[in-house]
Amino acid sequence: MLNRRMLKNLDYTLIFAVMSLLLISLVIISSATHVTTATEEPYRFLERQAGFTVVNTLLVIFLLTVDYNALAKYAGVFYWLSVISLLAVRFVGQTALGAQRWIQIGPVTLQPSEFAKIIIIITLAKMLENRKLETVRDLVPVALHVGLPFILILLQPDLGTSLVFIAITLGMVYMAGIRTGLLAGIFASGLALLPIFWHFMHDYQKKRLLVFIDPNVDPLGSGYHIIQSKIAIGSGMLFGKGLFAGTQSQLNFLPENHTDFIFAVIGEELGFIGAAIILLLYFIVIYRGIKIAGEARDNFGTLLATGVTSMLLFHVLVNVGMTAGIMPVTGIPLPFMSYGVSALTKSMVGVAILLNVYMRRQKIMF
Amino acid sequence: MGYKYPRRLNIFITVAILIFALLISRMAYLQIIHGQDFLRQADNNRISLVPILAPRGLFFDRNGEVLVSNRPGFSISLVPISGPIPDEVIVRLADILGMKPEEIREKIKRRDNPLEPIRIKSDVGPEIVTKIEERQMELPGVMVEVQAVRNYLNKELGAHMFGYVGEISEDELAAKKAAGYKTGAIVGKSGLEKVYDKELRGVDGGEQIEVDVNGHPQQLLGKKQAVPGNDLVLTIDAKIQKTAEQAMDNQLRYLQMKLGNPEAKAGAVVVMNPQTGEILAMVSRPGFDPNLFNGGISAKDWKAINDNPNNPMQNRAINAAYPPGSSFKIVTGAAALETGKITPEEKIYDPGQHWLVPKSNAHGAALGWIDFRVALAKSDNVFFYELGNRLGIDLLEEWARNFGLGAQTGINLPGEDEGLVASRAYKKKVYDEDWYLSETMDAAIGQGFQLLTPIQMCSLVSQIANGGHRYRPYLVSKIVTPAGQTVQSFGPEEVGTVPLSDKTLTAIREGLRDVVSPSGTAGYIFTEFPLTIAGKTSTAENPHGDDHGWFVAYGPYDNPTIAIAIIIEQGGYGSDAAAPIARKIFETAFNLKPGFSPADELAKEIAAQKAAVNNNNKTP
Repeated sequence: MLNRRMLKNLDYTLIFAVMSLLLISLVIISSATHVTTATEEPYRFLERQAGFTVVNTLLVIFLLTVDYNALAKYAGVFYWLSVISLLAVRFVGQTALGAQRWIQIGPVTLQPSEFAKIIIIITLAKMLENRKLETVRDLVPVALHVGLPFILILLQPDLGTSLVFIAITLGMVYMAGIRTGLLAGIFASGLALLPIFWHFMHDYQKKRLLVFIDPNVDPLGSGYHIIQSKIAIGSGMLFGKGLFAGTQSQLNFLPENHTDFIFAVIGEELGFIGAAIILLLYFIVIYRGIKIAGEARDNFGTLLATGVTSMLLFHVLVNVGMTAGIMPVTGIPLPFMSYGVSALTKSMVGVAILLNVYMRRQKIMF
Repeated sequence: MGYKYPRRLNIFITVAILIFALLISRMAYLQIIHGQDFLRQADNNRISLVPILAPRGLFFDRNGEVLVSNRPGFSISLVPISGPIPDEVIVRLADILGMKPEEIREKIKRRDNPLEPIRIKSDVGPEIVTKIEERQMELPGVMVEVQAVRNYLNKELGAHMFGYVGEISEDELAAKKAAGYKTGAIVGKSGLEKVYDKELRGVDGGEQIEVDVNGHPQQLLGKKQAVPGNDLVLTIDAKIQKTAEQAMDNQLRYLQMKLGNPEAKAGAVVVMNPQTGEILAMVSRPGFDPNLFNGGISAKDWKAINDNPNNPMQNRAINAAYPPGSSFKIVTGAAALETGKITPEEKIYDPGQHWLVPKSNAHGAALGWIDFRVALAKSDNVFFYELGNRLGIDLLEEWARNFGLGAQTGINLPGEDEGLVASRAYKKKVYDEDWYLSETMDAAIGQGFQLLTPIQMCSLVSQIANGGHRYRPYLVSKIVTPAGQTVQSFGPEEVGTVPLSDKTLTAIREGLRDVVSPSGTAGYIFTEFPLTIAGKTSTAENPHGDDHGWFVAYGPYDNPTIAIAIIIEQGGYGSDAAAPIARKIFETAFNLKPGFSPADELAKEIAAQKAAVNNNNKTP
């Protein structure tokens, strides 16, 4: 239940930053899609995304009415639901771009892995809430808990999303107070496992990584995205070419420009200034997230905020880095910005969690 | 209550700050430091420059008849917008165009502007365009353009004068790059097309087309209209040209089939206005159709041209030098009369063979006491051996050079031959031997070392016709803009004079008039000819085969407006081989009623036979 003090305790800075990003997203999506879909309904993507945004805003408001501690009650159920949905993707999912990631439910296609991120954050927070992380043994349940959905997503195959799980987990165990030596050990063994990882990677994934090192290896294939995206961003220069005026984006040189490569449209049409402002908005979100983690009422709240913040930070790093050619191409959307209901919902639920933790940071005193 | 690990919180914030610092600096690196480069690349991505070839200037004859124009044609180009053209597309396209994939790859390699489509083949047929459009999905980056294609309206007619056009070669490009010529440019390769290329070519225009990643045009960004090239108004009279060409073809066939000169397959005609130097017609045989070279000549057509031992590409009118034979007696006679070695009245006894060197007349004739006029009319050799003997080779050489022989006439066409004037110096230089009297005598009757091109021969007879003025022969009277404004006009240009007295001129002219009168060597060709003309036959010995037959002429006798030189290689007697063509030309030029022409009759007969065969085929 909400009360006046909770509303006063809402993080309006965070709300402002997120609302700004959502509005910018609608503008950029309409710019990125109005040409590609000119033959169909020109604003189909805009209308749908606007609808998703409204629904998600309502969802956020609804989630604020529930104390985040209540989330923990159902966390176990959600965890298994998400594991089942990830399994469902394997058998009834739709294949796109070489991977099975989506399930069609009515008019929308859902990407269970996006929701799994939130669920892992909640369940892991619950798991780490009162746990000491001193020995390897302490980590085993954590590894198993994260490992199951991680493996399922990795098998889709969706390397990028599975890496998000690692980022979330690392952030959360770190903030949960893992012993520094143990953390170092995790990194060391992770590095040691890389060659094995490489061995099990699909050819297209290997190619993406190789192409990342030198996009010109395959300028019309895997390297194409990177080259065109860099051209788009770079050609925006300081002030950008203006909305709807980015030739790279408008003329289809930039594929996936309304989803994974939307930041390239920003770079091209809004220039360095626009890109910097948007990065600043993201930084505000991340900064507030960390602050919220620090000011939470309890460990559970701290860990929830940490998980959400780690997820968002990793998304921004990998997505923007990918469009700017300093990260390999992985299908990781840009939070609040990329077209797509699953990704938006995941980010918005994350924001709801942050707001929830923050507004309830003070112990209830009657 | 607070978070247990405030230090970790700070480290978390620090990590976040570092990540954003990294991203922002990367943006600055891409957008500010390298922004210009990427902007250029982005522009390259989206704009394709499609050149519009300027239509080349037209060729008009002196009466305004269009001889060379342009027509729309399809050319096939590649637009590598977003990277290299896939190999399978090259292979497919090569298959459709009947080219080798390597040829296409070579063209791709040679292009110099990445924004411009690479022209793979110009002027392809509609069936190829249809095929490409049907298979467009399999041929990304392949573009069909409409471009102006050169159109030589009368095919072979005037081909050697007009020349032909083709894609600029690498050597030409290297030489002309500074003048703004670009890869793929269509340039004049020979003839007037080459000489006046700069005036004819105009200024190419272009379209800036915005394209998407597949090279599909999205929108026209800008269009620079092509400026058509300037037109050439030629001195050519299409009527005379057509007559000369047809008469030549009929005559060659007649010689081969009826007169026992099976090797009479090549020849040349030059028709000039002796008062100005304007070329009225110029023919060279065998000929070629310059239209074949549009868009690159096919291997089959090129083989046909190349395998012809008579080299159809050669403009014999200016590029081939032949022994002039008896027509050279004009030079010998003029020299002897002007230097006083003989008077028009003086008679020389012809016993059939010269008394100093045993050189005789053709067919053992012996004309006895004859004067200059008779000697010229009957083409007596002994008489002219004696004139050569009296002149000596040095005076003979001097007089040949007075008439402009042994040097280019200066006609505005490339590849003119200088011919050769017999001289001591030449023999010394080439053979390192002294001069002999018998060689002077050969030289005096146009044999031995003497070599003249048909245009020199025409110039020579023109100088007799106009009283010793040597005009530079020319083909272009005006260069005009497409709107009709004159850019440049050309008139007669006197490049030399021969000091000929009226007495000398009269003697020569009367002798030449007698040649075509009933008693002369060409009399039987011009029986009852309504126009008074002057002429001279030559039958030049040819060490490589049958004699070459020459005929030179001018008319009307009193006020000459037409001078003609004709040679038929291995055509035998000049009277039989060449004179009938001159008659046809005079008939056309002066609107005379055509006389009986056995060559024309043969042509009609063959045409009738062909028609009959065709009819039989149609009605089995």
